[in-house]
Amino acid sequence: MLKTLLDAFALISTWEVIISMFAASVYGLVIGSLPGLSATMATALLVPVTFYLSPIAAIATIVAASSMAIFSGDIPGALLRIPGTPASAAYADEAYAMTRKGQAELALGAGVWFSAVGGIAGVLSLMILAPPLAEIALSFSTFEYFWLALLGLMCATLVARSSPVKAIAGMFLGLLVSCIGIENPGGVPRFTFGLTDLFGGIEPIPALVGVFAVAQVMRAMLTPEPPPLPRRKFGSIMAGQWRLTKLYHWQMTRGNIVGIIIGVLPGAGADMAAWVSYAMSKRFSKEPEKFGTGHVEGLVEAGASNNASIASGWVPSLLFGIPGDTIAAIAIGVLYMKGLNPGPTLFTEKASSMYAIYLMFIIANIMMIPLGIAMIRVAAYILLAPRSAIMPIIMLCCAVGSFAIGNNMFGVVTVAAFGVIGYVMEANGYPVAAMVLGIVMGTMVEQAFVTSLIKSDGSILPFFERPVAAILAAMAIGALLWPVMVWVWRKVKQPQAAAATSR
Amino acid sequence: MRLPDSVTGSFLVVLGAAAAYGGYILPPVPGQPVGPNVFPLVIGSGLALCGLAIVFGIGHSFEEEEELIPLEDGQAAAPPPQGKLYGLRALLPPALLLFYVAAADRLGFIITAAIMVYVTSTALGAKWKLALPLAALSPFAIHLIFGKLLRVPLPAGLLPTPW
Repeated sequence: MLKTLLDAFALISTWEVIISMFAASVYGLVIGSLPGLSATMATALLVPVTFYLSPIAAIATIVAASSMAIFSGDIPGALLRIPGTPASAAYADEAYAMTRKGQAELALGAGVWFSAVGGIAGVLSLMILAPPLAEIALSFSTFEYFWLALLGLMCATLVARSSPVKAIAGMFLGLLVSCIGIENPGGVPRFTFGLTDLFGGIEPIPALVGVFAVAQVMRAMLTPEPPPLPRRKFGSIMAGQWRLTKLYHWQMTRGNIVGIIIGVLPGAGADMAAWVSYAMSKRFSKEPEKFGTGHVEGLVEAGASNNASIASGWVPSLLFGIPGDTIAAIAIGVLYMKGLNPGPTLFTEKASSMYAIYLMFIIANIMMIPLGIAMIRVAAYILLAPRSAIMPIIMLCCAVGSFAIGNNMFGVVTVAAFGVIGYVMEANGYPVAAMVLGIVMGTMVEQAFVTSLIKSDGSILPFFERPVAAILAAMAIGALLWPVMVWVWRKVKQPQAAAATSR
Repeated sequence: MRLPDSVTGSFLVVLGAAAAYGGYILPPVPGQPVGPNVFPLVIGSGLALCGLAIVFGIGHSFEEEEELIPLEDGQAAAPPPQGKLYGLRALLPPALLLFYVAAADRLGFIITAAIMVYVTSTALGAKWKLALPLAALSPFAIHLIFGKLLRVPLPAGLLPTPW
């Protein structure tokens, strides 16, 4: 234990790790603070750079950039009422109302402080939850993996803030994309249409860059430019935060716990955590009438929640290769590339690397406080950069980055295609996160499914025979039937309600 | 690009059916009941069913609780200049990426990238005073990071970089 910890310290105390972590932090803060550029996009554009780093440094950049970007999305939210990342959208109105009341320092300070606290709570959950779950997961067979993957896919569709049918359709689309190529049980070219470029299948990373970055540039083409940030002098940013912590310690804890739970659920990430926590804070508050008028309580809870979900999203990713959110989906791609294949054995064979990940998360969240304060002070200058200067650079990074992944031009074609797919899906209410999950998990789902079918020799019974498999199966089928039940219930209830009002 | 649900749903039905059929005609592994054909068959049927449900508006009641993209709806949402071709501007980024694929090997990275930056920047409303220097400088910066530091073999083309 102590030796692994010391090994982990040795792993992260190299110049490469320290420099890449610092650079990624600054990068994450800047991207997160620019409206329209999300934390997921920041992480996706970082991937080509991670190819050329050592495994630990590569993970360090992702950990640092994603944590920082989620916090710094609060900055334009509070100052402009435009969330920098979707994760800050839930409470941008509230934070802006505080700024109008002259409490910008308090709002932003709460953003930094409770983000850092939430992030550390998330790491603790990762440290506590992952090892015992790994023990259990070691005895999993393909049947359990099949149900677990299905449950993960269903969770993603349940929590999507749109029609569950469309979410399921998005998930199927993703799985269909993962069918392309010759990496299938028969080793035959499948859906390749004779194109040699498609033999290797669609790489998840260019698809993600397309869906999250190119689609965003496409949307920017049609939306008006956000207004520039008014320059202002800030007083002490951290003043009063300790008082808030004592006053709202229960809200903070609740936010942390909700964030951790939502982070662990596959497909649901920081934005979901913030929405749920903000709603919860309002629901259970002693003074709900103050919400919306510049009340810090919801900010505390939601800010603590969205950062907690970032770290806990790594729990299913590291254990099963099932991404906890879209950022973790990218992280899984990087883990595979770096030879740290997700799975329960990671915790026994590469224990020092796991401890290094924990440590990096803690360091990133501590670094967030000074860097975040500095970022708040210079944000006015960074936000001066017009969109017409940033988006072209993003485009270049998309082109070069997707080329760099395989050093072939087909990656760039993939990015362009998925940009269009992501844009059309988003515009029509199909959640892209569900498709991303399908693409990332497709190969694993198919392998578990087909291997289980071969083992069971045509019988359906073995899918339910093992106790853990039976429980997971019940949960997955319940999740599948849930939207149907809600729909039926509403249909039944509607005529009754209509009858009641007419009487 | 907001299409009616019946259009997107029907598209999914066709795509799902095509995938299921495509899976069905794949050669099986000799002596084994399940092979590469099973998974596309399942996925395709599922997709087609979802498409049908969308066409018939099932699950529609869950939608539109909030704006789907709550980003960038600033306070002053000035109505953008609407024209017939205005919506097509969204296709510019993927078109430029395809242009990169087609032209980068011949023209080289620097020239292609400069054209991409200039066009994107102008399309987003930049004056030439911003777009020209940006197009002149940013390709070199990107080349320095990716080509020099990360050793990505970017095509040299007509205009090789000084390093």
